[in-house]
Amino acid sequence: MRHNNSLKVATDMFFVKLNWTFGFLGVMFVIQLVRAMIAILKNSEVDSYFNAVFVAAGIFMFVVGIISTYFLPYYVEHGVTRIDYFRGAFLSSIGLSIVLPAITLIISIVWKFILDNFLKLNIKDVDFNTVVEDEPELIGGIVQSFIINPYIDPTSNWPLAIAALAANIFIFYLVGWLIGAAFYRNLLTGFVFILIGVVIITVKDSLLRVALELPLSDGIITIDQFSPTISALGVLLLIILAVWLIRQLTKRVSIKM
Amino acid sequence: MKLSIKDLNLTYGNHTALQNVSFDLSSNKVYGLLGRNGAGKTSLLSIIASFREQTSGSITIDGEAPFENAKITQHITFMYNKDYKEESQKVKSLLYGAQRYRPNFDRDYAEYLVKRFKLDLKKPIKQFSKGMQSALNVCIGLASRSPITIFDEVYLGMDAPSRETFYKELLDDQERHPRIMILSTHLVSEMDYLFDEVIILNQGQILLQDDYDSLISKGAKIIGIKEDVDQFIHTKQLIHEEQLGNTKAATIYGELRDEERRNASEIGLEIAPLSLQELFVHLTKEDTDDETQQ
Repeated sequence: MRHNNSLKVATDMFFVKLNWTFGFLGVMFVIQLVRAMIAILKNSEVDSYFNAVFVAAGIFMFVVGIISTYFLPYYVEHGVTRIDYFRGAFLSSIGLSIVLPAITLIISIVWKFILDNFLKLNIKDVDFNTVVEDEPELIGGIVQSFIINPYIDPTSNWPLAIAALAANIFIFYLVGWLIGAAFYRNLLTGFVFILIGVVIITVKDSLLRVALELPLSDGIITIDQFSPTISALGVLLLIILAVWLIRQLTKRVSIKM
Repeated sequence: MKLSIKDLNLTYGNHTALQNVSFDLSSNKVYGLLGRNGAGKTSLLSIIASFREQTSGSITIDGEAPFENAKITQHITFMYNKDYKEESQKVKSLLYGAQRYRPNFDRDYAEYLVKRFKLDLKKPIKQFSKGMQSALNVCIGLASRSPITIFDEVYLGMDAPSRETFYKELLDDQERHPRIMILSTHLVSEMDYLFDEVIILNQGQILLQDDYDSLISKGAKIIGIKEDVDQFIHTKQLIHEEQLGNTKAATIYGELRDEERRNASEIGLEIAPLSLQELFVHLTKEDTDDETQQ
């Protein structure tokens, strides 16, 4: 009998994570409603749903990535190989990275409809891409690259907005998975990979900004000399590196009992 | 399936968990894997189940290495004393997981077992008592009907009636669907009747592998006057002795010929059979145990 466990794992993990995603998007929706109520009272404006999710989605995917490691013992206990788990988890995360922005955009349209027709509120114009730091500052730069992601306004170019968000949260997922997998090996490897993860996120942030032709602060990494195409290629290489590292960490790992 | 292990070694840093372990399991029988705490039972079983890799040596199942070999691993079920304290799922979804990935899983049988052990379908697993969690492992392990099924001290926390149910169901299902069943246990006296074959692991090495009946026939307790007993056993492997006044009881390991049995009876020696538990205790006893007793 031909086994196709990696597809089974991919499907199962996708739906489990999609469930969490609905939970996350639901919570974000409730938060937006509360903020809208406050905005009505204060007579101010409110964020678009897309923008609100945009800020939080990276952290959400990072956490989902960490938890992904804990599917490994579950699958090995069910007789699934590490490679099938790896492929399944990888495929499911690609699916999730595309589906999450797409659903967000749809909810965002509904949100705008509610704002326009029922709450009579205006959507705030935000510019996430304004370079906040003039002085290069290490910690500030790192924190910024975690929170403020390269942003494309969905009203200007929605396919690109989805693609940018997808690429961004996909890397957050990979870094979470990478750190989770490293901690599954042992504590020391875990701590080393936190550093590697931070580097990946920071480099990703700069590369993605150049690739999307967004302003980039001359902080930790200055890569103004790169063309957008080369930067996009750099993002791809970064993804391949993270995926390769995850595979190396999980390839022959012992299952904890 | 055929399981063959040759010169298997496993080390964790400086600690040797398994040393030159070799044995074959070639027929669908119930194998009892006995060993004291830290003898290496779980390490050995986790290698068979591909939970970890050996340091050196080989393991093959139907001629192929099982590690990362989906064709093989899907047919090996390893149930152990698992920690379910984070498991918020209920029985049904756990059974569903096993059903999805185990090619021989029998859902009806699993549900029958769940009823038999009176497992609560509404509670999350983490709220189950230890015994209930162990019973759930039994249900999944038996219903998976994997050609190689391993139960590593899976009865922990189960009360005596539940353990009896487990043993009965195990024997019944083994009769219906014979497979290589490996039971690792401390409860030797309670489970010995389940074993077709016994493997004793001691300090990371195989001490013996034998048919249950043949093994039991090799152990005997010779009781009688000290001098007669000493005379009788001087060519035998003595594994334990006790003395009260001039009466001595010597526990020996090794086949007794009919002629020897007749001779013993003629000189007034009594030959008592040994239980597997007694054999196990004496064979795996270390010098330090005696010192501690003294």
